[in-house]
Amino acid sequence: MNVLQSVKNLVRSKSIHVAYVDVGSCNGCDIEVLACLSPRYDIEQYGIYVHNNPREADILLVIGAYTPGWEEKLHTLWEKIPDPKVAIAVGNCPISGCLFNRPHSLIDPPVSKHIPISAEVPGCPPRPTEILTAVLSVAPIVFKDYEVSKR
Amino acid sequence: MKRTVDVSVPLGPIHPCFKEPARVKCETKGEYVLSAEVELGYMKKGIERIMRGRPWQEVMFLAERVCGICSVIHNMVFIEALEQISAISVPERAALLRVIANELDRMQSHILANFSYCYTIEHETLGMYLLDVRERVMDELERITGARVTCAYIVPGGVRFDIRSQDVLHLRANLAAIEGEVTRYMRMFESGPLIGLRSKGVGILTREAALEAYAVGPTARASGMPDIDRRLRHPTYKTLGFTPVSRTEGDNYARIMVRFQEVLESIAIIRRCLDLLPVGPIRGGGIPGIGEIAYSGEAPRGELSYYIKTDAAGRVVDISIQTPSIMNIEACCHYMLKGVPSLADVSSTFVSADPCIACTER
Amino acid sequence: MTGFLYEKDLSAMKYVILTSTRHDRMVREIAAELDIPQIKLRKWMLDHFDMMLLENLPARYAQGKIARESETPVEKDLGAGLYTRAIPLLNWSEMERIKGEVYTLIREGKTENEAVMEGRNMIRDVIQ
Repeated sequence: MNVLQSVKNLVRSKSIHVAYVDVGSCNGCDIEVLACLSPRYDIEQYGIYVHNNPREADILLVIGAYTPGWEEKLHTLWEKIPDPKVAIAVGNCPISGCLFNRPHSLIDPPVSKHIPISAEVPGCPPRPTEILTAVLSVAPIVFKDYEVSKR
Repeated sequence: MKRTVDVSVPLGPIHPCFKEPARVKCETKGEYVLSAEVELGYMKKGIERIMRGRPWQEVMFLAERVCGICSVIHNMVFIEALEQISAISVPERAALLRVIANELDRMQSHILANFSYCYTIEHETLGMYLLDVRERVMDELERITGARVTCAYIVPGGVRFDIRSQDVLHLRANLAAIEGEVTRYMRMFESGPLIGLRSKGVGILTREAALEAYAVGPTARASGMPDIDRRLRHPTYKTLGFTPVSRTEGDNYARIMVRFQEVLESIAIIRRCLDLLPVGPIRGGGIPGIGEIAYSGEAPRGELSYYIKTDAAGRVVDISIQTPSIMNIEACCHYMLKGVPSLADVSSTFVSADPCIACTER
Repeated sequence: MTGFLYEKDLSAMKYVILTSTRHDRMVREIAAELDIPQIKLRKWMLDHFDMMLLENLPARYAQGKIARESETPVEKDLGAGLYTRAIPLLNWSEMERIKGEVYTLIREGKTENEAVMEGRNMIRDVIQ
């Protein structure tokens, strides 16, 4: 492995930028993602920065069960994120639609139909620690030696 | 000749300051906002459509997931509406426990709203302090109800779990700590000169405009309408005897201060509940039956009203939910945002109304 | 070529908002009072109101009906405040014009009821 790659690995392991997008949830998972920011869980001590800007994000947290308003938009958003990138589904909604996935509802789950999802955190809503664990365990798998494994 | 160009500036749906997707389109003249409109449709799940024709046992959980932030009040209003339909009585201990859970929920919601505002005006320190206090409130909520969010604590005829004596001690100790910290942060917010510059006189909602758009909750109470509080009409709250907070400025500062004061007021209400808590059963039992009712309660954001029609088996035939955010966001985008001096104040004014898009669209 | 990059047709989403129980009841009441076909009123609302206002219409309508009680009899029957401030079907100047014409009709000897009916016709003409 060359030196450049090892420098990249080091940098990427210490600065993970997270954006979150709500594609139609009940807000419960949103506030649990926000709770990760709080001094108790302190997401920034692991070098993870949450600032909802897709253009500089590495990880996209997808919350909610795909509503019609997001057609085209979610995919555009996913394309705006620079490589290497990962999408994590937070909560039951993006995985299965949870209890909204019933006749007459407007949603179209799972989100993995629309963008590639790398990890799923089930729960209605999952605890902040679980979200944190998911981000921390997915990041090294995807970002380490990204250029080598892509080849 | 210099020409002034009028520009339409869209904010969102993904915006660093908005927790949820909404698109605010501002017609501006320079930076001065002339008018604004909101485009929704990013969160529409059609909960009311799913609810129709389902038994109340299912609708109860769906009602809770109308809004994740204020889930306890959705649960409470739905269940109390069912109790009104079928004349189910609630033991006194359970009624007080409901109030405790609801007030804890209100506290965390208000603190979260104030965090969002502080975060939006880039006062991150105060925001983080508030988020830290919120975790204490969440702990108490979890200790009593068993879950942080969407706890389904309230069931027809009572509540799910009793509060143990050591929980009461914990709750009292934590309330004292929360009260001290919130008072400190409130003073920081009051006396911060830069906060004042960003907040005072920005996004004014006059009393007439609030009446016209039917603004509710802290948004209306900051514009001098104290009697909008639905808790004044709730039987359990009546016995607790509290006075609603209100201010007259109607700007961003007033709205945040009203929320701070309501957190302190909620602490006082919980203390009074703990003092009054009698020994007795927590579940009376009862089966929801046929009927039709329009019932309202006071959510953290304002008046929440349910219209429910059930059949003899307890199935929900027709339901309509009017959440407080609908009125508040409408008041925000059509009255407050008019005449906001700069685009930077658009996001902070929008957040100060405590918008909850998930509620609004259901 | 100019085109909006992000704008899309929202009428389907707007229609979903208008089909809720409260909205449906409100649209029926207004349509019955003004004697407009419901479908036309719905279409008009979809074209002219933004989504937030659509969501808030039932609350505004309820509030407007309370405010209506304190108006003068002719204005109350015409819904002068209700259809301009609460449900902005007309703008203020058009309503003033219609009110003026209704008062003229009353001065010319028509009964209040007939004059108000004429006024409603005028409102209908403005909307359609």
